[in-house]
Amino acid sequence: MTSPVLAVSDLRAYYRTSAFGVQREVRAVDDVSLAIQPGEIYGLAGESSSGKTTLIKTIANAIQPPLQVLAGSVLFDFAGQRFDIHALRPRELAAIRWKHLSYIMQGSMNVLNPVRRVRQTFVDFAFRHIGRPLPEFLDVVRQHLQRLHLEPQVLEAYPHQLSGGMRQRVTIALATVCRPQFIIADEPTTALDVVVQKGVLGMIHEVQRALGSSILFVTHDMAVHANLSDRLGIMYAGRIVEEGRTADVFRAPRHPYTTHLIGSLPHLGDAAPKQGLPGAPPNLADPPPGCRFHPRCPRASDLCRRDVPALETDASGHRVACFHPATESVAESIS
Amino acid sequence: MGRTLLDLLRFNRQFASGAALLLIVAAYACLSFFSPYAPNDTYVAPPDVPPDWTYLMGTTSRGQDLFWLLSFAIRNTLAFGLAVAVLSRLLALAIGLVAGYSGGLLDRALMSLNDTFIVIPLFPILVLFYFVMRDRMSWGLLALMMACLGWAYDARLIRSVAMSLRHREFTETGIFSGMSMRQILVEEHLPYVLPIVFSTTMNNINWSIGLEVTLSVLGFTDINTPTIGVLLYWANQHTALVSGIWWWIFFPVLLVVMTFIGLFLLAVSMNEYIDPRSRLGRRAP
Repeated sequence: MTSPVLAVSDLRAYYRTSAFGVQREVRAVDDVSLAIQPGEIYGLAGESSSGKTTLIKTIANAIQPPLQVLAGSVLFDFAGQRFDIHALRPRELAAIRWKHLSYIMQGSMNVLNPVRRVRQTFVDFAFRHIGRPLPEFLDVVRQHLQRLHLEPQVLEAYPHQLSGGMRQRVTIALATVCRPQFIIADEPTTALDVVVQKGVLGMIHEVQRALGSSILFVTHDMAVHANLSDRLGIMYAGRIVEEGRTADVFRAPRHPYTTHLIGSLPHLGDAAPKQGLPGAPPNLADPPPGCRFHPRCPRASDLCRRDVPALETDASGHRVACFHPATESVAESIS
Repeated sequence: MGRTLLDLLRFNRQFASGAALLLIVAAYACLSFFSPYAPNDTYVAPPDVPPDWTYLMGTTSRGQDLFWLLSFAIRNTLAFGLAVAVLSRLLALAIGLVAGYSGGLLDRALMSLNDTFIVIPLFPILVLFYFVMRDRMSWGLLALMMACLGWAYDARLIRSVAMSLRHREFTETGIFSGMSMRQILVEEHLPYVLPIVFSTTMNNINWSIGLEVTLSVLGFTDINTPTIGVLLYWANQHTALVSGIWWWIFFPVLLVVMTFIGLFLLAVSMNEYIDPRSRLGRRAP
């Protein structure tokens, strides 16, 4: 096994606010560990407010108060050099961003400044990182746009002249033009209809293979994960509860939350109505003790109410944080 | 830009008539460079001659040819308005963008300064300023003073826009890609607020000319530099209206009204330019 390009260990990031003397602490990311290999697409799934965006903001070190990193480390490995992203000085951080590490933000359609031409946006964001004279840089951009099936003329357009799908592809081109080894993508296709989404996903895959980069891909849309991700991590209430190869997670989910999540997906020929899971995700300012899923879990025991289950790795590399994980046969009988 | 202006001229009647009015005023101001008299020469022409073919706008009671005198006056008044507008716009842009972008303590400090300038009563301050300066009072000093008093409303406006820009994705991506604060403000935010500033610049020119005329008519400025206000001041001193020298009042007022209406029309039609959509809609064949 090669050394991972990203290694997150025991990361803990809380929102800490103090307003009118009231201290609040929202535990959005709690003890998260994960590793991503070169050339891998790692999918991160979970419902809204499960801490997905906070986690990747922390990984990219794009954090602003009140978000604070309390513990843990985020290590990147770019071309044999190791970077602890929270220990870097601002200048070093600026030097690896975009060139090695790029970030497609949530709501990425609005990454383009509406009053600037697309070409100017490329120059603003990417030019300094590529280290070539301007005409050469624009040639690189044009070639790269073609890889995403975009005409070079889009460079002269204003964002509102492009369709949603085109804008999305321009954004992806913007994030990948410097050939970064690591791309963080936060819901990059959520606002698109499924047909355009399929095309964009295909192009992300193509670009990823051409560049050999790794992608940390975040979305709540399980269908997208099924199509794109090599490995899948499931987040619930600020923790990763299960992680494994995408096919394994879909075929034989072991954590009860994942089991219900997968079980809720519609299949052709389903006759039985879908059962919802009672309850709601916990308030992260005051999470339940023990396993955070226990108030909704059908398999909860006293142990779950008391202790936090660790994320255990089994022989095949599948990780699950549960005291009573489903065996493969049980999982199949539920789903 | 040139293309946009041409399109605006062709399709927007308000813009076209505003531009035409201002062009007439500006051309007339340029005539001052060809004046046969220096602006402060008196008794170069017979006094109190009504408008005729020799003296197009008549002459004043001080023996000045109003046609040439007025060309100096409107030139100074326009230059004054422009100077105030440019200086105060620079202040407003710098303070508004920085305050809106950085937020927090700096924002609060700048905005309390800003609010102080908004609530200060301008007129008494300017009058007081005149009494302090007296003979040292000059055109440039007054422009500087008014610029220092005239930026506050715009800085608030720009700040409110900058605050919303601060949290847009393109700003966050810019920060992420390593752009400095200066680069983000100049390259990403400035183009966004510039059309708004164009429009308020016109209003600011109007405001400063109006205030300058008010001060001058009352004699609270340097009365030896001819401006529209100073002309009216001298006309009042010579009781022009009582003695029937109506042209001494009429032509300066006519000219300043033309300037006001022209600037107002331009400011209104700038809305066409503010939205890049309408800007481009015009360009489509």
